[in-house]
Amino acid sequence: MSAHTLIVQPFETLAFMRAALVACLALALANGAVGTLLVLRRMSLDGDVLGHAVMPGAAIGFLYAGPSPSWLSLGGLASGLAVGALAGVLTSERARRDAGLVAFYLVALSLGVVLVAWRGSNVDVMRVLFGTVLAIDQRALLQIAAVSSVIVLVIAALYRPLAVGAFDPAFLRAVGTRAPYGVVFLVLVVLALVASFQAFGTLLAVGPMLLPAAAARCWGLGVAASMALATSFGLAASVAGLLVSYHGNLPSGPAIVLAAGLLFGISLAASSAFRRLAPVIGWDA
Amino acid sequence: MEAVSGEFASGSLTAVVGANGAGKSTLLAAIAGVVPLAGGVVNRTARQRLAYLPQLAAIDREYPLTVSELITLGGWREFGAFRAPRTSLRERAARAAETVGLAGRLGRPIGEVSVGELQRALFARLILQDAAVILLDEPFAAVDAQTVSVLLDQLIRWHQEGRTVIAVLHDLDLVRARFPSTLVLARRCVAWDTTEVALPAMAA
Repeated sequence: MSAHTLIVQPFETLAFMRAALVACLALALANGAVGTLLVLRRMSLDGDVLGHAVMPGAAIGFLYAGPSPSWLSLGGLASGLAVGALAGVLTSERARRDAGLVAFYLVALSLGVVLVAWRGSNVDVMRVLFGTVLAIDQRALLQIAAVSSVIVLVIAALYRPLAVGAFDPAFLRAVGTRAPYGVVFLVLVVLALVASFQAFGTLLAVGPMLLPAAAARCWGLGVAASMALATSFGLAASVAGLLVSYHGNLPSGPAIVLAAGLLFGISLAASSAFRRLAPVIGWDA
Repeated sequence: MEAVSGEFASGSLTAVVGANGAGKSTLLAAIAGVVPLAGGVVNRTARQRLAYLPQLAAIDREYPLTVSELITLGGWREFGAFRAPRTSLRERAARAAETVGLAGRLGRPIGEVSVGELQRALFARLILQDAAVILLDEPFAAVDAQTVSVLLDQLIRWHQEGRTVIAVLHDLDLVRARFPSTLVLARRCVAWDTTEVALPAMAA
């Protein structure tokens, strides 16, 4: 088999593969930026919890309108923001934060599954849990592209305060910044997760956000360069995951997340090997 | 923390002392507006600029930032959220780095310099902030003696320039030798006076 048959043909011949690819590319752009800030803020667990917080609202949207992308997203957005606000209020005490967040995530996930299973089939449950990246229609694609564009534009505009706020929020407050950048960032995370929801489901939505960003962070780059690298990793994982799932007849969302996980593993191993080797071969790392 | 009320005179140099958990850091953060007050008010002379140095442990050293970028942040009021720092600011950042003995370290990531050098960089950031009120939370904890002497000189210079300096400290000999006023805390205000009068309350 030629490289063309292996790599290009699946996208050339199948419209749903093309739609999936475009959706993944749009998501990678948003996720690279949001994910990098999430990792820098050490809020990976928060991201995971918010990913599941989307679930009950999306389930209510499903009960109301069936598997319509708009209603699923609206419901998901509402419950993601509600849980984000609630978790912020209830877990402001540092000591109980971990347990509180995990409690939220379990309750939200279970509630969502119960709601979907109440009126829907097992297929519906699987769909909200793991997503359907190969069943993205034009309307869903436009929605994903629009939300991703908004996220990228907002981060571009607020890049400096978001980056400094991730490093030293006390400094921003002490120099008299009153804008709630932390809240803005949480809203961006929920938006990105809602955009990812249809493609990757509630269980995996945080994967394409977190894994490429965590992989990029291994390389010791600055914030903007980390975002760019995370986006490239996200793109690479999407293409690789889609092709593997096509040729191996495997579920595509998990395949993409696995590919991103592989990139993370390679980055971890390679960067630690580089750090050990650099002094030996005379490079100043 | 219970009612602490009083006034830091403009241009005063005050040490805040007390056992662990006495509320020293909380008091500083509350004055800086970094943590909300449970009750009460903090009054400041109108539009006085304030700078706040958190404890070193609060700084994430893994964050991808160079020493130069960290210091330049001190000019935040000049460039703000949406503009890039000007060349003149970068030059001032380099001069501030020289003042605290960091001239050769500007391009280093903050994760690759020593704890003492990181604290020097944070002091250089404070120099750039050019604030009338400077709040320092344990500025000399975990740093080497040579760094302490450089940073203490800077602190005294701020005092001589007429700025109000408030520092949380543990070294009582240092307080006795260099700080005119002292506030002793133990979840409440135990003593707040000249160091001579207030400090004996710490031992009691």
